[in-house]
Amino acid sequence: MKNSIRQSWAVAKVAARSNLAYIGEVASRTFFLAVILFIFLKLWQATYRESASAVLGGLSLSQMLWYLTVTEAIYMSAPRLAQQIDEDVRSGALAVRLLKPISYPLYCLSSALGERIVRFLANFATGAAVTFCLVGPFDCTPAAPIMLLVTVLLAFVLDGLGHLIIGLWAFWLEDTSGLLLIYTRLSMILGGMLIPMELFPDWLKSFVLFLPFPYLVWGPAHLFVHSDWLQFGQLVGLQSLYILVMLGVVNLIYGWALERISAHGG
Amino acid sequence: MWFSKILSYLRLARAYIKLNWSMQMEYRGAFVSQALAMFLNNGTWLAFWMLFFSRFPVIKGWEQADVVTLWAISAAGFGLGNAFCWNLHNLAAMVSRGELDVWMLYPRSLIPHLALGKMSATAIGDLAFGYFIYIVMVRPDLQHFLLFNLLVVAVAVVFIGFNLWRGSLAFYFGQAEVLSEQWFFAMITFSTYPNCLFDGWMKVVLYTLIPAGFVSGLPVEALRDFDFSAAAFTWLGALAVLISGAASFELGLRRYQSGNLLGMRS
Repeated sequence: MKNSIRQSWAVAKVAARSNLAYIGEVASRTFFLAVILFIFLKLWQATYRESASAVLGGLSLSQMLWYLTVTEAIYMSAPRLAQQIDEDVRSGALAVRLLKPISYPLYCLSSALGERIVRFLANFATGAAVTFCLVGPFDCTPAAPIMLLVTVLLAFVLDGLGHLIIGLWAFWLEDTSGLLLIYTRLSMILGGMLIPMELFPDWLKSFVLFLPFPYLVWGPAHLFVHSDWLQFGQLVGLQSLYILVMLGVVNLIYGWALERISAHGG
Repeated sequence: MWFSKILSYLRLARAYIKLNWSMQMEYRGAFVSQALAMFLNNGTWLAFWMLFFSRFPVIKGWEQADVVTLWAISAAGFGLGNAFCWNLHNLAAMVSRGELDVWMLYPRSLIPHLALGKMSATAIGDLAFGYFIYIVMVRPDLQHFLLFNLLVVAVAVVFIGFNLWRGSLAFYFGQAEVLSEQWFFAMITFSTYPNCLFDGWMKVVLYTLIPAGFVSGLPVEALRDFDFSAAAFTWLGALAVLISGAASFELGLRRYQSGNLLGMRS
């Protein structure tokens, strides 16, 4: 266990460092984030005005923009984990990866985590600067950044496990891109990336709460603008529970997948 | 004279489309899955707007049907423009790498050969999606449907002209792939949000630098109010974008330097 954590940490560090080396490339992609936040500001400004209300779904306009900054930063930091596994399986590169002294899923997950943290921080820094210029600061408690960091980290692990499950289906399916698209679009809509869950119709909200998607995006973003230790505890608990369940699923699928591998020559 | 010239170019377009279509049909499974994936992707965005309008029925005079029309016209126009002229989407990269040589060997003008050289399965998914939601969700009468077709072609012309604009950047700046990509993202993003959200200087930008107003503004107005002047202005704008795009390409072409690449078109 201790050894695995040390190995994961080393892989994540290498992935983060290699992403830091291309920080210019990462930053260039944040232009899109600025455009989308500007459009969101216009959309929600019009919505608040037409609703003649200062608060919608428990959020003021300023909180709404900061909420959307976090959700966009999370969503846009997603690495190509499922596609990477798909390519590894299809090209046979998996045979080489299996020689490494670290379990293949753990290697993929750690590498994706390292990469994603750098991307998230770059996205969040740009998004925060843009949002600050657009709507100014909001009443942020000192605990909010800590809650955000912890829950975002757990959300990344959970999302990474989701990508692993999809990527591992490459052992059976011709192409996993369709599955990945369904997964990412579900997490976009049901995760509350574009519209907070408080504004969902009641029937949808009660259904979505039983799925992992809100805990990938909505949970961390909501806590950032509405920090509350009780909700933080609940979210961390639910994220951990889903991580345990999905770890079990990954282990099961990976075990089946290993039985299908046959490597020849060198 | 000019009539026979137009007929000759139409025959050329038919020949390219036939050839590219048969190439796509060689990989029928991949073609269908890519087109379906785009269908699903657009469907997710539409789901967001349904959620949004279920909560806020009117935003600055726009209702749910207007946003469905917006998505129908922008997806179908983008699909038509890019499905058969996909090479223009990657024009900046082709110019930077000196890959135009092979296209310069053909008789007739360079732009039609270059544009029609590649077909996109995902853009065909966009085209199908646009028509599907317009027919199923808006349920137009015959007059509106005919006007819709006319506007879809105009929007396709806007996208072809815009692709020439951004692709031509590479003639003037050398490496312009990132710039061209960011400009494209801005255009797509502004084309898929209600035009009524923007006013003042932003409106000017949306009818000049980022010509999304000819996608998400005038065509929607034309269809909603059955307004022929809005349709005529859409066409005028589309032709202006196309002519200026072709002019910037032809001017830039004088600065083009061959990459001396040896290659074979398959």
